[in-house]
Amino acid sequence: MVFSSLTFLFFFLPIALLLYYISPRAMKNFTLLGVSLFFYAWGEPVYIILMIFSALTDYIHGRIIGRYREIRPLYAKLGLVSSLVVNLAVLSFFKYADFLIGSINSIIGTGVEPLDLPLPIGISFYTFQTMSYAIDVYRGNVRPQKNIITFALYVSLFPQLIAGPIVRYEIIEKELMNRTFQLSQFADGVRIFIIGLGKKVLIANSIGQLWASVESQGVSDLTVLAAWLGIIAFAFQIYFDFSGYSDMAIGLGKMFGFSFPTNFKYPYIAKNASEFWRRWHITLGSWFRDYVYIPLGGNRKGQFVLYRNLFIVWGLTGLWHGASWNYVLWGLYFGVLIGIERAGLLKWLEKLPRFVQHGYLLIAILFSWVLFVFEDINEGIRYAQVMVGLGGRPLYDTAFLYDLYTNGVLLLVAGLLSTPLFTRLWKQCVERSEIIRNEWIQTALQVVFFMAILFLSTAYLVDDSFNPFLYFRF
Amino acid sequence: MKRLNTIMIVVFAVFIGGVACMNLLAEDQPFSQAENRPLMQFPEVSLDRITSGAFTKDVETYLSDQFVHKRFWTSIKATAQKVVLKKDNNGVYFGEDGYLFEKFEPPSEQLDANSESISRFLEKTKGVSVYGLLAPTSIEIYPDKLPKFAQTASETAAIQRVEEQVKGDISWIDATGALKAAKEQPIYFHTDHHWTTHGAYVAYRAAMEKMGMAPLSSDEFAIRTVSKNFRGTYDAKANDPSVESDEIDVFEPKFHVSYDVDIDDGQSKMDSLYAWEFLEKRDQYSLFLGGNHRAVTIHSNVKNGRKLMIFKDSYAHALVPFLANHFEEIYMVDLRYDHRDMAQVVKEKEIQDVLFVYNIAGFAEDENLIWLRQ
Repeated sequence: MVFSSLTFLFFFLPIALLLYYISPRAMKNFTLLGVSLFFYAWGEPVYIILMIFSALTDYIHGRIIGRYREIRPLYAKLGLVSSLVVNLAVLSFFKYADFLIGSINSIIGTGVEPLDLPLPIGISFYTFQTMSYAIDVYRGNVRPQKNIITFALYVSLFPQLIAGPIVRYEIIEKELMNRTFQLSQFADGVRIFIIGLGKKVLIANSIGQLWASVESQGVSDLTVLAAWLGIIAFAFQIYFDFSGYSDMAIGLGKMFGFSFPTNFKYPYIAKNASEFWRRWHITLGSWFRDYVYIPLGGNRKGQFVLYRNLFIVWGLTGLWHGASWNYVLWGLYFGVLIGIERAGLLKWLEKLPRFVQHGYLLIAILFSWVLFVFEDINEGIRYAQVMVGLGGRPLYDTAFLYDLYTNGVLLLVAGLLSTPLFTRLWKQCVERSEIIRNEWIQTALQVVFFMAILFLSTAYLVDDSFNPFLYFRF
Repeated sequence: MKRLNTIMIVVFAVFIGGVACMNLLAEDQPFSQAENRPLMQFPEVSLDRITSGAFTKDVETYLSDQFVHKRFWTSIKATAQKVVLKKDNNGVYFGEDGYLFEKFEPPSEQLDANSESISRFLEKTKGVSVYGLLAPTSIEIYPDKLPKFAQTASETAAIQRVEEQVKGDISWIDATGALKAAKEQPIYFHTDHHWTTHGAYVAYRAAMEKMGMAPLSSDEFAIRTVSKNFRGTYDAKANDPSVESDEIDVFEPKFHVSYDVDIDDGQSKMDSLYAWEFLEKRDQYSLFLGGNHRAVTIHSNVKNGRKLMIFKDSYAHALVPFLANHFEEIYMVDLRYDHRDMAQVVKEKEIQDVLFVYNIAGFAEDENLIWLRQ
């Protein structure tokens, strides 16, 4: 079940909230665990066993590491290694086995059958969370959780379960054990959730149709400007989809008393690739920084180690996004960009006017999405060739003009919402105007604004399901 | 800010809880008139279905199929789309003058396969006069009413492709030319993928000419408007509440006629070519001959011994009331449901004339002409 569905909005969510808030205080974690397991089992009736297994083993690992950390460091270390091995084995087996088989087959020409296992939803997120827990217990950053219900709740907590943010144990440790209901937190949750829903349903889904329309024309029939329009549409689609989903997760977290970390901070207003990754999927970037890059020595062990570390971290970051070579290349593309920026490009860029810096970043990002979106690398290269005018294709055609003017408003809105412009304007209005600060007016404005988004999102979701089969009924 | 937060939470809870309750309390519908399809019922529960994920998937379909006041929500979405200057919704263009148009996709190999099926049929029916009528849809006749730069493939080219591909003895009736010449008349519905009786009449005249018969003049009919509130299949996709409903006109002969209509080999009988009860339903085009049936046989009071077999889609339904005045017997066959060896049937029943009536958009995707090859 995804958050942006009628089933979630009008079936799961009301029931989950109701059950949670009528549960006595001592039972709340238990209720939330039950609701979360139901949520996961809804989409993955079989793989729920895998998640429970993951939670159980990491609970035990945490206990072992915590117990021996000071008295028998070797045992603790073995516990940590065991935890990492189990997590990585589960992740590799389900996510990367076929990728590995396919790669080996094509390199040495063997014919090993792929396993064709469906990927368990959210596995990349929850294995990363449990690994961070084991490492943090080993490092002494957190105390091991002794209550199995509480720990299982951490692993399976439904708001962040299937698409992030990656919430480290230390961040919600206190809230897992003790949370109090706060009116303002719940109301914030409602607001953030609705914004996320609107981003996903009204913007990402709509602009996604533009990308789908361009993609369906086929690379060989695309015009130059249509290729640009298409990848711009995809850039908006993935940003509004992913950040919308994170917002919904954060909002839901707040409704149940949790504060999850911010995951996106207007990434497209960045001025270079390094900054982009401090604004895009922040919890993933910081995970790799804290658990891979820094342990490998970061930038403190000389030039060679620095570039080697960048290579490893960005290759892995790419691979995390999907079991296919194009994702690895996509990650390495950023590794190279960030490497070049560190080697001096950044200092040079900073002297240039700001619009040049923004232009550099946006073009770099658009080409990165070409690499990301085509699993077939050759097709991605052909697409990029059309973009730079090497495809021998005309500049534009009427199909492009139609797509442009019928999506013009949407593109403009998506562009503006990718910047903090509206948020800033609103803040200024509130600061300057006594009238807007009036509580009743503020209330009226907010209720109308947020309910309009919720209302429209519902309409768009209903039409999505409206699937006429028009010619006959048999 | 305490009050603000309380109100925010209450409004949110009332909305999601309220819609949830409305859905919970509403009775399940078996069929959607608007979408013209059966709706998902609460799925069957079994361990197998639960572990395979089929159960939960079906529950999601069930919940969205049975969502209450769907039409209200979809028209909100269509209106929002128009506000942001979208010119289409669910694949249907918002045209000028209240016209809705469905895009014609470039035809696939299915079209070529269908031509081949007709060629094979012709080999087995030598000596029988076979006619073909491929009708364009409204988008081909009114390109000037399309939104600027809207994309659609050429139906005329697709029709030509079929006419060139089919080998054997067949006479093609140029419906496209006749309809284009009559474009000032209300020959197509604004909200539906069919032609009107006016369009069918134009095609009928072209057909008669090709078949060497004299068509009846429109003066011999009384044209009566039987509905003013028809909203067809295009409307069901576009959901634009600002588009006006269509009228349905019926051409009633001023001379004496009588028909015996036999549906599906005696399953039911009618003594009229119109099933008036459909005017009370959403699917008003089924007024003509009661919609799609496996096989319909019409005996008319014309005693000339001529027998016509029609392979068809629903475009034929508005056309047959005109043809019925020229043939003693008409056999209408829907190849989706009728899988007999048709060349054999033609011989057995001593049929002299065979007519194919399809709209090109449906014909290009029809997977059932293959039954003509047996």
